[in-house]
Amino acid sequence: MKWQIILSGLRARPVRTGVTIMAVSLQVALILVIVGLTTGTANEIGKRIAGVGADIMFQAPGADVLLAANGANLKEKFATELAAKEGIQRVAPVLVKISTAPLVNIFGIDPESFNEVSGGLVYLDGKVFSEPDEIVIDDIFSRDKKLKVGDSIELIKHKFKVSGIVQNGKGSRVFMGLEAAQDLNNSPNMVSVFFIKLKDSRNINAAIEKLSADFPGYELRNVPEYAALMNGASIPGFDDFNAVVVFVALCIGIMVIFLSMYTTIMERTREIGILRSLGASKMFIVTLIMKESILLCVIGVILGTIGSYIIVDSAKSFFPSLAFLISYKWMIVAAISALVSGVVGSLHPSLKAASQDPVEAFAYE
Amino acid sequence: MLIETVDLKKTYRTGKVDVEALRGVDVRIRAGELVAIMGPSGCGKSTLMHLLGAMARATSGRVLMDGKDIAQMNDSERTAVRRTKLGFVFQKLNLLPTLTARANIEIARTIQGSEGDEKIDVYLADILKILKIDDKLDRRPSELSGGEQQRFAIARAVSHRPAIVLADEPTGALDSKNSEAVLQMFRELNRKFQQTILLVTHNPELAGYADRLIEMRDGLVVHDSGSIASAAVGN
Repeated sequence: MKWQIILSGLRARPVRTGVTIMAVSLQVALILVIVGLTTGTANEIGKRIAGVGADIMFQAPGADVLLAANGANLKEKFATELAAKEGIQRVAPVLVKISTAPLVNIFGIDPESFNEVSGGLVYLDGKVFSEPDEIVIDDIFSRDKKLKVGDSIELIKHKFKVSGIVQNGKGSRVFMGLEAAQDLNNSPNMVSVFFIKLKDSRNINAAIEKLSADFPGYELRNVPEYAALMNGASIPGFDDFNAVVVFVALCIGIMVIFLSMYTTIMERTREIGILRSLGASKMFIVTLIMKESILLCVIGVILGTIGSYIIVDSAKSFFPSLAFLISYKWMIVAAISALVSGVVGSLHPSLKAASQDPVEAFAYE
Repeated sequence: MLIETVDLKKTYRTGKVDVEALRGVDVRIRAGELVAIMGPSGCGKSTLMHLLGAMARATSGRVLMDGKDIAQMNDSERTAVRRTKLGFVFQKLNLLPTLTARANIEIARTIQGSEGDEKIDVYLADILKILKIDDKLDRRPSELSGGEQQRFAIARAVSHRPAIVLADEPTGALDSKNSEAVLQMFRELNRKFQQTILLVTHNPELAGYADRLIEMRDGLVVHDSGSIASAAVGN
């Protein structure tokens, strides 16, 4: 019966109901889409790095897990030294350069060593770069920027010509020659990372231990574990950023629910007076208002989750290089956030409604 | 004795001024009576009804119902009294506007715990026939006339067979034809089911439908046509 009051009340005020549900949906979508974008991007970078096919990533002391954040601070000649170590099959030096407009990592590679470590870039069209102003792009970047072989694009304030399009998934979306990248970066003979392929990939950690002894202080990362590492926790500020997003969404949700429920109890003062005169307890009134609020939030969670997938799909169709990851974990976080908004936002209005004096409620018109 | 007030006083504070709405009211209502409380606006009749209806606390004095003083009870105790022993009919906007008439009655029965009680079902069916609204149960208040709304409010008020029904200006928002019909129905409920009914009004015509008339002025009872004391003197 209580649900009948709630549902009929919601039906009777379609605008308020609709706007409240929409606001809760936005709260949920805000969390799922923004966190999905950050998580998805990190996850996608991790997968691409893992896709290089190397066993170990060798970086300068104190280097960040985000390759683009480090610049070129390793001497290229280390590659020879590393390659001479026991158990190492091949070393691919890479200079990682970031372009801000458009935002993309560029791998400066030595095609021969990179192909040996990665098993080779798979060309869908064109061929490897042969000039300093030529680049190879992956199919996603090609679709995103509507580029085909022979087209030009400006990256890092330089005009580049597309010489080939490769299948995505191996390190970066844009590749250029290592020397050209070093020149562009004003860092001759310097690189950002060495991708190391072991002769026997079964015991990567033992190889890392050995290399650590030979190169104390250098960052050595197990590449297959890198994708898992890129899920967030290890990226500086990642969890804090997500926490801020959830907090902001929660605040918005609480305010919307508060306003909505406060308005509704003001509108329904006389109805509440009628219920109180019939003998409805304060708890009855509190649970009535809270259940209404929670119902709005549940509908908001469902629509917000569906809406998030629609937003993500639309965003991907317009910007193919964007990566999203809507995980169950964040769905639960978004749902809890919305439900907490429902409870907290309706707490004061419901207590206010319950504490209304029946006599005064009847005098209210 | 069903309900009795003893030196009942109620003072409201408005700003720095104390307004004495009741200045010592002694009233005794017997079971099965149909009583009209009359008086001009501001005489304290609605305040008396609120105190008899466990809707407010008295400043002093007592309201005894089944030997318990409801005037000094806390909110949850008064709520329980309203739920189990009382039924209310107000001047207007008695029904929850978003629910059908049937749901308005059902919500009362849910709150009062009489949902699914077969005896009450039979009784209620009878009441709805007497009130001539048994064919309008699925209408919303906006689809009912003022008189029909008031009749549903009466049906809801008696749906759990309360000890006493309190009606505050029940015909105040009705035309004369509907007023008469509603008052006739109060009388029929009183006669057929011995339902105790207390009508509060400022309309002298309404008094003709009651068995007993209590007149109030300035927070005091100035005349009671059928008080226990006057009945004893009469005997």
